[in-house]
Amino acid sequence: MKLLLVEDNHSLNKDIQEYLIENGFTVETAFNLLEASEKLSVYKYDALIIDIGLPDGSGLELIKQAKKDKINSAILILTAKDKLEDKLEGLNLGADDYMTKPFHKAELNARLRSILRRNLFDRDNKIAAGEIEIDLITAEVKIKSKDIILTKKEFDLLLYFIHNKNRVLTKESIAEHLWGDHADQSDNFDFIYNHIKNLRKKITNAGGKNYITAMYGMGYKFTIK
Amino acid sequence: MKKEFKLLPKITFVFIVFAFIAFYSSAVFLTNEADEFIYENLDSRFQKFEHSIKHDLDRGGSIEKLRNYIKIDSVNKSVDLTKYPVFSDTTIYDDELESDRSYKKKTIIIESKNQYYRVELIRLVDDFMRLREDIFESLIPAFIILAVTFVLFAYLLSGYYFRPFNKILQAMKTYKVGEPKNISKVKTNTAEFVKMQNLYHEMIDRIEDDYQRLKEYTEHMAHEIQTPLTIIRNKTENLIADEDLMDKHSETVKTIYNQTNHLSKLGSTLNLLTKIENNEFNKSENLQTKPAIEKFISAVEELVKLKDLKIAGNLNPGHSFFIDPILFDVIIRNLINNSINYSHPGSEIVITTNDDSLQISNYGDPLPFEEDKLFERFQSNGKTSNSLGLGLALIKKICELNQLKIEYSYSGGMHNFKISN
Repeated sequence: MKLLLVEDNHSLNKDIQEYLIENGFTVETAFNLLEASEKLSVYKYDALIIDIGLPDGSGLELIKQAKKDKINSAILILTAKDKLEDKLEGLNLGADDYMTKPFHKAELNARLRSILRRNLFDRDNKIAAGEIEIDLITAEVKIKSKDIILTKKEFDLLLYFIHNKNRVLTKESIAEHLWGDHADQSDNFDFIYNHIKNLRKKITNAGGKNYITAMYGMGYKFTIK
Repeated sequence: MKKEFKLLPKITFVFIVFAFIAFYSSAVFLTNEADEFIYENLDSRFQKFEHSIKHDLDRGGSIEKLRNYIKIDSVNKSVDLTKYPVFSDTTIYDDELESDRSYKKKTIIIESKNQYYRVELIRLVDDFMRLREDIFESLIPAFIILAVTFVLFAYLLSGYYFRPFNKILQAMKTYKVGEPKNISKVKTNTAEFVKMQNLYHEMIDRIEDDYQRLKEYTEHMAHEIQTPLTIIRNKTENLIADEDLMDKHSETVKTIYNQTNHLSKLGSTLNLLTKIENNEFNKSENLQTKPAIEKFISAVEELVKLKDLKIAGNLNPGHSFFIDPILFDVIIRNLINNSINYSHPGSEIVITTNDDSLQISNYGDPLPFEEDKLFERFQSNGKTSNSLGLGLALIKKICELNQLKIEYSYSGGMHNFKISN
């Protein structure tokens, strides 16, 4: 899976690139509009991650270019938290999703996988992890071919874990994934604990392993060998 | 404090005092002039008399004949000449006018042909004296008329002449930092007012300039720290993934992670505050509050249950605020989050709207600080380290900018926040 990451901050760019490579993507980078535009006209990418605020112009130009040249890469835009209008314009131009800075890399990973799946119709809509099988379209979850019933939040949580398996997900990152704008509630952490406890119980009751472990009081990890 | 006086009455008072002094001194001056005139007049008359009597006597005129006109007696030579002339006032009854009339009398000694005569010369001064008295009698009413006119004038015209001044004051009063557009120049040709107004406008320009710079600084700070913070956070997440390291340093990493998140939230909230101050959320509309609040209640329902609280809305469907929906969202979110954070377990949070106000009440411990500090930035009860202490400052700012009134009260163990039009 090949991505083009357009982000002008070198440190951030490198950081995201490394993270995405670890997660099995092939990542090309660009630091400005010109460079990105050139790469976009020469190579083919499965997804574009575009920061809107670039030193030589708006990242929105790249979306326009992609749409004009009928490039059907999935597009994820990154915007500053306060630039509501950029976000709306980006989505109008044909971006598939947006994330506001600062974001959690785990969240980026999950979103990226989700838009890639939506964008590539020929792909299988089932995900498997250990004994767990998930149908993304019907939102059905099976453990050893046995159906388990999850709430919407538990389903989101499980999917987030599977997208980011074998990594520690901090409580902040989970809270933001589950509640978005309402994530700043300090008590959400108790809440996460509750959801995880329930999810874990449902999986183990259905005969699954205990995949989710608490890490250092900071977060949780979904381990799968 | 020293007693204060208004300028115009003050000027009027001083003017009247000066006018009084001027009138009084001119009266005194005129009276003196009159006295001098009367004296000179009498003196020349008396001298003429004296002359003609002496002349008469020298020519051998008889005293008897003179007695028809004046009082004249021959006196002994031993008379003390140094005692004469003697001046005195006298009144003589006038049969015709049936009243006393004033006279000046000069008693002199005339020497003629080796014989001394004592002569009393008199002259009617009634008219003179009346003229002298008239000076005061006419100046006093003139002064009173002037004083009254001046007071009336000051009273009636103060409104007119001070109108630009009051308008300038009004403009000063309504001026708010960051809203210079409200200030229009008051037209006046009074030099002092023009000077004051110009100075005031220069001052505002300077304040606005400083304020803009400060605001930009805050804006840039809040904005520019976000990327470094994201990098720090990402790097920290890398550390969290390293189990060997975490076994040894989990507490340190946790602190770095939490504090970075705190800083990042602080930055974006300050940014939001600046944007609100910059009036960037200006899509105000007549917002029906009921659906917005209900949406919020359902969003926090799980959390409320988890905290063993209840949340109830007594919502009037007709209630609305004229506000940008994003800002109303900020208000209601912060108020509800606040009430969830500071509620006693097992208690109920009540949101009520009626025709013109919104109230949110919850049971909780009284504020650990003074009530009037509640809406200040970074005021927090210290219970939750996660709290930024900006929520209520944010709400207050929004209310201010949208002409809404926010009040806080604590009664019967309940915190009440009320927002009204």
